[in-house]
Amino acid sequence: MESLHKRRSLLKALVLSYPLVSGALLLSPAQARQRKLPLAVLDDGEAADLESVIEALVPGSAEAGAVHFIDYQLARPAADSLLMLRYLGVEQPHLNFYRAGLEALAQHSVRRFGKRPSALPAAELDTLITDLIADDTPGWSGPPASFLYFVWRSDGVDVTYGTEDGMASLNTPYMAHIKPEQVW
Amino acid sequence: MVTAADKVDLLVVGSGAAGSVFAAEASAAGKRVLLLEAGPARTPDDLVSSQLWARRQKWGGAHVEEEGNHRVGHNFNAGWGTGGSTMHHYGVWPRLHENDFRTSTEFGQGMDWPFQYAELRPFYDRIQGAVGLSGDATEERWRPPGEAYPMPPVPVFGQGRLLAAGFARLGLHTAPLPLAINSVPYRGRPACLYDGWCDAGCPIGALGNAQTVFLNSALASGATVQNDSTVTRLLTRRDGRRIEGVEYRTGDGELHRQYADVVVLAAFTVQNARLLLASANDRHPQGLANSSGLVGRYLMTHPTVSLYGMFDEETQPGFGPTGGQLLNQDGYDNKLAVKDAYGSFQWIIANAVKPNGLLGIANNRADIYGAQLRPFLQRAVNHLGVMTLVAEDVPLPENRVELSSKRDAFGVPLARAVHNLDKAGAALVAHALEQGAAVLTAAGAREQWRGPQAGMHILGGTVMGSDPATSVTNSYGQSHDIENLFIAGPGLFPGSGAVNPTFTIHALALRAVEQLLRDWPSHGTQ
Repeated sequence: MESLHKRRSLLKALVLSYPLVSGALLLSPAQARQRKLPLAVLDDGEAADLESVIEALVPGSAEAGAVHFIDYQLARPAADSLLMLRYLGVEQPHLNFYRAGLEALAQHSVRRFGKRPSALPAAELDTLITDLIADDTPGWSGPPASFLYFVWRSDGVDVTYGTEDGMASLNTPYMAHIKPEQVW
Repeated sequence: MVTAADKVDLLVVGSGAAGSVFAAEASAAGKRVLLLEAGPARTPDDLVSSQLWARRQKWGGAHVEEEGNHRVGHNFNAGWGTGGSTMHHYGVWPRLHENDFRTSTEFGQGMDWPFQYAELRPFYDRIQGAVGLSGDATEERWRPPGEAYPMPPVPVFGQGRLLAAGFARLGLHTAPLPLAINSVPYRGRPACLYDGWCDAGCPIGALGNAQTVFLNSALASGATVQNDSTVTRLLTRRDGRRIEGVEYRTGDGELHRQYADVVVLAAFTVQNARLLLASANDRHPQGLANSSGLVGRYLMTHPTVSLYGMFDEETQPGFGPTGGQLLNQDGYDNKLAVKDAYGSFQWIIANAVKPNGLLGIANNRADIYGAQLRPFLQRAVNHLGVMTLVAEDVPLPENRVELSSKRDAFGVPLARAVHNLDKAGAALVAHALEQGAAVLTAAGAREQWRGPQAGMHILGGTVMGSDPATSVTNSYGQSHDIENLFIAGPGLFPGSGAVNPTFTIHALALRAVEQLLRDWPSHGTQ
């Protein structure tokens, strides 16, 4: 089994490519966040709310760069997206889904607590999440709240645990395939 | 501007399971073959062991609208790129049972197939030899007649052993899952590593799919795959009696025409029906191949639910094939065994799972979040057991693919897939889930829970049959209305059975292309 654990990794999936004057800067989502690279499509308010909620759902996902990952996927051609949402029958462009969801979330948070999600203390953020799970969101005008919970939680899991480091943090081997030595 | 290339003998729309078999056999017979593939090119170097990367292999084309109480889940089931859905399929290859072919005659339900199992058996056997299946035919007490598998079964890991014991304690049986996965090197392809990444594609080629087998053969014989080419319309001769070719758009949006002697529509269930309906013209105002009015009708999907148990023992849930390690089909052949229910079901047992992904560990307990999530995952990656129900769906005419009022970027109406599960089907699922819960208890699961009910595989919509009034094609997938138009894939199935369809898709395609080559449609000018 030990040999399986040492297999060569081919984890291109979580590398974000940022264009430079010459070439491209290849970073993990965590590195992109750490360097505070500008987001492509989400504005600052949307990004702050999204990061607050995803971090509450999946602790560690903020540092892992969940928002940079999501923003990057939303900005690229639909067929290249790595977001789980593409499995779920939501019409492209998926930016519309995230943006409408974040707007509905912010409105609900302000109605409920007088603050946006990014400004909520932990206890109120937890109540907000409970509202999402139960679709207890009077006046909600975006994608279904419980569906947003599922999608955002899954995004957080992707970035936090869907990587070699993430699986190592669970003490389980990643076991990427060996790179084929010849074309089929 | 429209550009037109030289005419080919055989034009195949789609490069997946069915299209690759047509292309391989026709090109080997000397036909000039072109496959138009809407998705991008794929090579082994493109495949990455990651649930995230795997998403690029799922549908990336025009949006499909879905309605109904049991949606087919188009985007999760459909593929995108060379090899189509086979590039993400799990390689679970059981055969349909003999009575799946005569459900109307035996049970008064659904439709009989236009031939019986005995007709398809030799094609199953030949496909099995070409692709290479692992399994143990003698242990499959429910298996219809056929040759033994050419490879021994895949190994059973911890969760498989525990779940098998649960079945046994209830007097139920398990057998090695028949898989298109090499347990030993086979025909130049290596054995599986059992690292649980089938969902992301298999870069070493241990898993049999279009690229490793039939597409490879087709290319070697001179066939051409043209990627990023989305067929938007089938063109008929002015009198409507023959297909002349297709129109397609390349990635740059340019419109092209490609002419062919014979066209095989192998673009998977929903897109096949969509293209036929969207190609309506003066001679075929309801759409092509649709004199019966049945194009799009009898859409089916296998109702599926995964059951999960947490065990004290080490289960190794990240190891082994994603499709599973073991199979149970006890009771499959009595489709009327359950009161108020109809149909067969099977359990595929001990699926490999990873922490993330739609079917991953975290998402099967979507109620857990925050501080509780990591401890749950830490436990589950070592102690989870999984078994997955696959149930039969009755073909109903009201379950359908139709055209939407919305259009895609090329101006083609979108597909709308409408699917509801009837009461008898729902009762079957409920019964099976009770059995599954009992198995998990008997296996010693400390806790157990269910994932959501969803649709696995998409079938019907262009059903085959003997009568042009009640079917879209003959038993070879040849349109009753247009002799040089063939349809291929699971859309032909008049019934779903309760088994994974890819093996049957290959067998049907082999039977069809051999008939096509024996009786190549004439160039008739009448």
